[in-house]
Amino acid sequence: MTGLVVVSHSRALAEAAVSLAAEMLHGSEVRIAVAAGLDATTFGTDATAIVKAIEAADDGAGVVVLMDLGSAVLSAEMALDMVDPDVRERAVLCAAPLVEGLVVAAVAAAGGATPSEVAAEAVGSLAAKQGHVAAPPPGLSIVAELSAANGLSADTSNQTPTCTAIVKIANRHGLHARPAARLVQESRLFDARIELRNLDTGAGPVPATSLSRVATLGALCGHRVEVAATGSQAQEALNHVLALANRRFDEQDPTSAAAPQRSAGHRAHGTPMPASPGIAIGPAVSMRAADVEIPDEVPGDSPTEWRRVRAAIAEVRREIQRIRVAAAREGGEGEAAIFDAHLMLIDDTDLLDDVRARIAAGQAAPRAWIDAIASVEAEFAGVSDEYLRARALDVHAVGQQVARALTGAPAIRIEGEGVLIVDDLVPAQVADLDTSRVTGIVMAAGSPTSHSAILARSRAIPTVVAAGPAVLDVPPGTTVALDGTTGRVFVDPSEETLRELDAADQQARAKTALARAGAFSPAVTRDGVEVLVGANLGSVPDARAAADNGAELAGLVRTEFLYLGRHQPPTTEEQIEVYRSLADALGGERLTLRTLDIGGDKPLPYAPQPPEANPFLGMRGIRLALAQRDLLDDQLRAIVAVAYETPVSVMFPMVSTVDELADARHRLDLAIQLAGRGRPAGLQVGIMVEVPAAALKADAFAPHVDFFSVGTNDLTQYTVAAERGNPSVASLGDPLDPGVLHLIRAVCRAAEGRCLVAVCGELAADEAATPLLVALGVRELSVAPSSVAVVKQAVRQIDRAADAELVHRALTAAGPRDVRAILG
Amino acid sequence: MVDAEAIRSWLSLFAAEVARNRDLLTRLDAAIGDADHGANLDRGTSAAVSALAGDAALSPRTLLKTMGMTLVSSVGGASGPLYGSLFLRMAGSAGGADSLDAPAFAAALRAGLDGVVARGRAQAGDKTMYDALSPACDALDHAVAAGNDLGHALSLATAAADAGRNATIPMLARKGRASYLGERSVGHQDPGATSVALLISTAARALSGDVSQ
Repeated sequence: MTGLVVVSHSRALAEAAVSLAAEMLHGSEVRIAVAAGLDATTFGTDATAIVKAIEAADDGAGVVVLMDLGSAVLSAEMALDMVDPDVRERAVLCAAPLVEGLVVAAVAAAGGATPSEVAAEAVGSLAAKQGHVAAPPPGLSIVAELSAANGLSADTSNQTPTCTAIVKIANRHGLHARPAARLVQESRLFDARIELRNLDTGAGPVPATSLSRVATLGALCGHRVEVAATGSQAQEALNHVLALANRRFDEQDPTSAAAPQRSAGHRAHGTPMPASPGIAIGPAVSMRAADVEIPDEVPGDSPTEWRRVRAAIAEVRREIQRIRVAAAREGGEGEAAIFDAHLMLIDDTDLLDDVRARIAAGQAAPRAWIDAIASVEAEFAGVSDEYLRARALDVHAVGQQVARALTGAPAIRIEGEGVLIVDDLVPAQVADLDTSRVTGIVMAAGSPTSHSAILARSRAIPTVVAAGPAVLDVPPGTTVALDGTTGRVFVDPSEETLRELDAADQQARAKTALARAGAFSPAVTRDGVEVLVGANLGSVPDARAAADNGAELAGLVRTEFLYLGRHQPPTTEEQIEVYRSLADALGGERLTLRTLDIGGDKPLPYAPQPPEANPFLGMRGIRLALAQRDLLDDQLRAIVAVAYETPVSVMFPMVSTVDELADARHRLDLAIQLAGRGRPAGLQVGIMVEVPAAALKADAFAPHVDFFSVGTNDLTQYTVAAERGNPSVASLGDPLDPGVLHLIRAVCRAAEGRCLVAVCGELAADEAATPLLVALGVRELSVAPSSVAVVKQAVRQIDRAADAELVHRALTAAGPRDVRAILG
Repeated sequence: MVDAEAIRSWLSLFAAEVARNRDLLTRLDAAIGDADHGANLDRGTSAAVSALAGDAALSPRTLLKTMGMTLVSSVGGASGPLYGSLFLRMAGSAGGADSLDAPAFAAALRAGLDGVVARGRAQAGDKTMYDALSPACDALDHAVAAGNDLGHALSLATAAADAGRNATIPMLARKGRASYLGERSVGHQDPGATSVALLISTAARALSGDVSQ
């Protein structure tokens, strides 16, 4: 009689499942062996225990092994490799769900079924539950199931059973790129050859593992497709494909594959985000419009040409994966699935075989690639269904992407003028855009904080990002309007919308023009008080954008960007190089270099830290730097070296005691001694005020610093005891809380006549708060590069710098809302 | 040349690194799996070190085989059969030789990779140990073919494994429990790729001929 083996992570689970199955046996003697858990209570699976269980359950008639998940499957497969070949031939691994499968298998075994019959019954056990819980989606039925149900014989080395089934396609647009990509992806997982035939058109058979071939089936909604699988995992593969077809190949919404909505005035798909302010209206311009010109070149030898193709594909693969991750983040998995189709296409074995053959026949890589792509494109274009025909565009786009990588052709050649619609742009591409022709950018992917977005802002190109892949389908020439301040995108907008946008545009332009006009003049209040306006930097491109916007200094350089995402700390030389580049980009203006500011929430691999229950109140900022001095000493050496060349301020983060400052200054003095050239002339020293205790002790700090810089983000979170990243308390963390304002005033009073007070947190960029900060005594504001000109303009609107009345009203207000009301 | 003693010191060093990084591995697994990779692997490698200590002066093959079999039966999670297959295939590739030269060691590690692929059916980009092991094997093969000594070749392989491990961060998991998380697995480093990076870096340290490193 067929024996059964239950493999589970949990012994208790396995034993309970066996008890449940035993209830069905009414005394029949089925041998059921358990291999579950590392012991009675430790979860785990053990291949050697499974070997013993298989041997115990096998009386010569064979066994069926049922498993729970993950390592249970791997361990069971391993066990099969380890048992005696005779036993292996009689053993079957069964993909059925453990509990249902075991109950059904026990009954089948008791009835005298062979192992493969038992396994087939067990696999079918899920159908009853599925049928009960969810009626199958309308339009899909499995017409003929498993014409050769051979079960899951483990010994198929000398026989190749063919399992066939017919599925009716229920996807509204048939087996188009996205569902086909899912089918191909899943089909590749099995050791089985899966072929498809469209019974309604006679197309095929084609291998299910080739996306380009699957698409040529022209399988439309309602067509019947025959699936035939051969090989050691034929049955599993077939079951898998049937399940996939049942789920409509994971196409989430039956209408989602439809062409994007283009009705007048409708907002485009996705959740667009503002990235660069301003309004742009114009015809849609696509970067897919221009094809790469394939140069006539003398081919190198075949291996060389083939390597070129592989390198280009690898580059494009990385690019698509990057965009895919972004698309999944912005638009969800459904939106990202199209990129899977693109990825699959560039790895398509049929296509690559064709390219290789053309190269072997003496073609150069670009020509071989573009010709091979053209033939796939032609196959798509020859399909009768209109929707599938349109997928030829996907092939074309990916083909062009690889061709660009092969020939080094510029990524964008824009035909016409208007609003550029693209999936994503790298910073270099944004930097190269001809702004006389591109009036705005809509990106399907991207992020408002990306360097591309920063560049778009500094180049004043209105931009909306993360609009979702659907915008890519907007036909060239369609009127598109975007508002880069609010993140709205309109396809074919109404007259009324256009008027509304136009009015907003005029107003915004006037304001920006005023600010831009004064970007390079000092910011002075009407009563003659000058306020320095600087920029917060985290990269060299930031520094360029800051210079473009009129920054008078870098009020905060977040040097962490040099340290994150690597395994070794940057060398002193590397740091000197980067600090120099920052100074150059900023036209030699003062750099305020904040020393490394990290903590347990973002540990560095080369500065290991024990985990902390509350890293924001733990070892971070100057505390960590002083505890792990090597990093600090290296950084101070680099800062001192640069300070001989250009004006530099050193700023220590998260200082809470005067002793910490004394220690840090001592390390700086040592670095100066080591340099042996005396104290750099322009070197200044300051601290970040982020800890309330430091703000209240500003008097004690003042003799030892040249400046204070208030980090309002952290100061606010520590003052109101509300973590910045915690959305449920985020509303408490308003820097205009009068409690925070009292602390800023304490710092300004202590500093008066002795040293400068700067603000470098988000509050500094809040134009409404500018008069209050100046009235409190703040004389430097450091903000995002793009906000510099606007903040300067806000300073110029101030009538009286020392507005005691305003300070009094704000400090005695009940809460941030009242403060905002006072500020108007 | 990699003899039994060298293999033994590699495996002990690996076990020590797994123990030292046990919490890190578990923490990584907590983010995208069932929070047991560190504990499981540590249990397995500790058991293996005890088993290896019991036998003196064995051939590379028997040591690798003992390592593989012990992991298979004592890890409990998917890394048991996967690492088990790796070492068992390495044992098979090592054959009866008393010691392995650089090409033979590279061939053995490649056989181990093949074992992992056969067992786990992972592909590049699935966010698994494959994503660190495969580039390490490529780098090792390449460096050995270029005539580098094993120590240097393994240091290049270590760099490749580390890069591969880091590259798992943005990947979407397609295998194992992490795949149940779908896109939420993006942004987390794969624990299996992390332990593979330890395996390769300890090989570089133990087999470079300079055990003092």
